[in-house]
Amino acid sequence: MAVLDQKKTKVSDEIPTSSMADIAFLLLIFFLTTTVFPKDKGLAIVLPEEGVTAQVSQKNIMHIIVRPNCNVEVKRGEATNVQTLRAADVQGVWRQAAADNPNLIAAVKTDPNAPYRCMVDVLDALHLAKADKISLQMLEN
Amino acid sequence: MPKRGGFQKRSKASEEIPSSSLADIAFLLLIFFMVTTVFPNDKPRQIDWVKAQAAEKISEKQKDILNIWMQKDGTVYINDQEVAMADVHQVVAPLYARTNRALVISIRGDRDVPYHYMDAVQKQLVEAGVVRVVFAAQLERQMQRERR
Repeated sequence: MAVLDQKKTKVSDEIPTSSMADIAFLLLIFFLTTTVFPKDKGLAIVLPEEGVTAQVSQKNIMHIIVRPNCNVEVKRGEATNVQTLRAADVQGVWRQAAADNPNLIAAVKTDPNAPYRCMVDVLDALHLAKADKISLQMLEN
Repeated sequence: MPKRGGFQKRSKASEEIPSSSLADIAFLLLIFFMVTTVFPNDKPRQIDWVKAQAAEKISEKQKDILNIWMQKDGTVYINDQEVAMADVHQVVAPLYARTNRALVISIRGDRDVPYHYMDAVQKQLVEAGVVRVVFAAQLERQMQRERR
């Protein structure tokens, strides 16, 4: 008891290396599972092939005109009355119209000076409404 | 001294699998994966993304996606190089042919770019024979839209 400070410590002075493999594998598995590749997201469309024009009956067309201030004008093919609405409202309009006529084609005509986001908002609404026949054009005066 | 039968002779090889090099193997694997992980090569441009609720993941492999960046002023970048609008189809067509027409074009446009630039790009892509195009957008949740 008198020579307490001379007592040898039992702790080894080496760093234990037996668990090093476990640590390395843990790191390996951690990085393998947490690496996330940024997947691109977007609205897919299919462009027409060059030189192919399809004649479509007017009654199967819904004209959707995008104005520079993001207002949207919807006109059914033969009808003359024009509805002015917001981009998000196109979804409901399309759902109703497509229920009546399954062959309906959305002709999105965008003003040359309208910002891109206005067109994307309309396209988004059409995608949400499960429209699959979409034609993108520029509004010609 | 008579020679003993070979059967009773103990093998000197240890029965345990040597585990001292296990750490080295693991670190080698770790370093291998770290080195071989390839991230998309073109560096992002400064654009304000458009947002869309219906945005879907593009299932194609990264190498089958070609990004066309379009900035607010209508300048077009493909693979980190500025491309004049009239030359887009000349740049895209050989890339498209090389991937056996499996290439998907991802148009990454600034939200405020006037639409006539977008229309011009689409016409160029049609000229290059490209069929599948994606308007890249960030996913927007329902809540965000309602707040706007």
